[in-house]
Amino acid sequence: MLSLLLQAAVDGILLGLIYTIMALGLSLILGVLGVINVAHSVFIMLGSFFALGLLTLLHLDPAVSFVLSVPVFFLAGAAVYRLLIQRVQRAPATIGILVLFGLMVVVETAGILLWTTDTRVITVGYSNLRLSAGPVTVNGARLVAGGLSLLATAAAYWFLKRTLTGRAVVAMADNRDAASVLGMDVDRLSMLIFGLGIAAAGAGGVAIGMTFPFAPQDHIQWLAWAFLIVIVGGLGRVESTLLGGLVIGLVQTLAGVLLPFSWVFLLMYLLLLVLLIVRGQGLAGARRREL
Amino acid sequence: MRPALEPAGALGRLGQDLVRLRRRVWAPVGALVLAGLVALGLVSDDLALLDSLGVIFMYVVLTQAWNVLGGYGGYMNFGMAAFFGVGAYTTAVIGHSWPVSPVLATAAAGLASGLFALVVGIPTLRLRGAYFAIATLIVTFAVELVALNAPFTQGSLGIYLKVLPLSPLQTEQLFYFVFLGLMLAATVIVFLIERSHFGWALVAVREDENAAEVLGVRTTRVKILALLLGAVMAGIVGGIYSYRVLYIEPAGTFAIDTSLNVVLMAVLGGAGFWQGPLIGAPVVMAVGDVLRVAVASEVNRLIFGAILVAVALFAPNGVMGFLRGVRGRRFTI
Repeated sequence: MLSLLLQAAVDGILLGLIYTIMALGLSLILGVLGVINVAHSVFIMLGSFFALGLLTLLHLDPAVSFVLSVPVFFLAGAAVYRLLIQRVQRAPATIGILVLFGLMVVVETAGILLWTTDTRVITVGYSNLRLSAGPVTVNGARLVAGGLSLLATAAAYWFLKRTLTGRAVVAMADNRDAASVLGMDVDRLSMLIFGLGIAAAGAGGVAIGMTFPFAPQDHIQWLAWAFLIVIVGGLGRVESTLLGGLVIGLVQTLAGVLLPFSWVFLLMYLLLLVLLIVRGQGLAGARRREL
Repeated sequence: MRPALEPAGALGRLGQDLVRLRRRVWAPVGALVLAGLVALGLVSDDLALLDSLGVIFMYVVLTQAWNVLGGYGGYMNFGMAAFFGVGAYTTAVIGHSWPVSPVLATAAAGLASGLFALVVGIPTLRLRGAYFAIATLIVTFAVELVALNAPFTQGSLGIYLKVLPLSPLQTEQLFYFVFLGLMLAATVIVFLIERSHFGWALVAVREDENAAEVLGVRTTRVKILALLLGAVMAGIVGGIYSYRVLYIEPAGTFAIDTSLNVVLMAVLGGAGFWQGPLIGAPVVMAVGDVLRVAVASEVNRLIFGAILVAVALFAPNGVMGFLRGVRGRRFTI
């Protein structure tokens, strides 16, 4: 039993790291821009297919795709910001949500048209590799995905804490008008943070694709998970998201030891409802920013 | 909303006259259209036409249901399919297992959907704004998961219902008039809400929730009540829907198309106006019919999504916004 729990803990931590990068974009965009990106998970789905496409076309390892996905999805996110979000920035928040919902439907449906509704997996040399250390066995793909996610999360943390631009972003999250008065280009910073959020979603999608089967229409599950992580951890800070991601990864893995697979999912949804009741009022931003 | 639309002065008086004229137009036009629709239902034996119109009426009810919280309250519900689906599954499970009258089963469907709304609304509507929107998307997915895995829904196999003992024409006429009646009822309800304290409270929540709360509006209760009302309407429609199609399964019942259509119809017609769904639903269904002969259903959905983005960006007040000449903000949280 102890080794079973130890095994679950190791799996859960790796899963939590993957979940962190998957949810980071939702947390940052919501925390800094006050925009709840209901289209977040379609970019995760696109990230998974990005890795699959590069693997089948160019035989690129998903680890390489993970790195490549960051600039590609950053540009995509910046473009979405310029074309859609910036136009409705001054409008009431509801219009932005409508636009993002429309975007979600368009991208999801385009995904179905391009790749059908079939479920895919990414299989590489180390996908089924099992590395043993004492009583614990680790799956190769999960180890690689978890390690890359940790690196990406650390990079995001470093950017926001240690660079001037990152600190400007934090300042803007605190008070957008004051930041603007102090000479920060809030429009450019907003585009930057939206781009980074989508880049994290894309990279998270690559990591998700390495560890789970995926299909265009199933992305909402990751929206639910990302939302859950944001509620557990809190908004807008990398370390909060990491905490949330690790908690959810561990809870899911430990529940998986005790419950059949399909019920684990329902348990997570139940957890979401309970947490909204218990922790909802404490959600940083729910009251302060009046989203 | 209305007082702000009536400016003072000579020009204002002209404006007021125009507003009054427009208001006077609605009643006779509405009565005429309604009489025409009743006559058509009695006379016509065109099954396809009755079917298409019945679907439009059904969507008007769903869109009015959305309109209560979404249009007046400014809280976006992207999961109407979930409330509709809970209703559909309620009558399907009941009708499949027990010889209960469809009327009773449909009432149960409304009740089930209402209970479901409380489960969803109480945790999420205590929060401000957009959390509710994301939760409705997730809830739709979760309910579909339940329908796929629960023992009483027969999973992805779906449920068959018994065919009603009527001729094809009688069946079409029955559903035509049922949905026409529901459309009328839903529209009257929303019309009355627009003029009630409840409606004003919802608008206050939409325009400025802080101010509303300070002024004594019990915002959480008002929002939950609005969701509940819409959910009961959607549940009843869903309950009748399963008697109409006679076979339901999770993927189709909880399809995002239903939720998307409803949002698009409301926003295109004019969210927060009782006339909005009456305009939006026929327009969207007509576009859908044109597209359906030309392209696959996925392409259809893709185009609807793109239209929603365009409408939200360029005409967020919809057709009614143009008719009323509403400027500036309509959606605010």
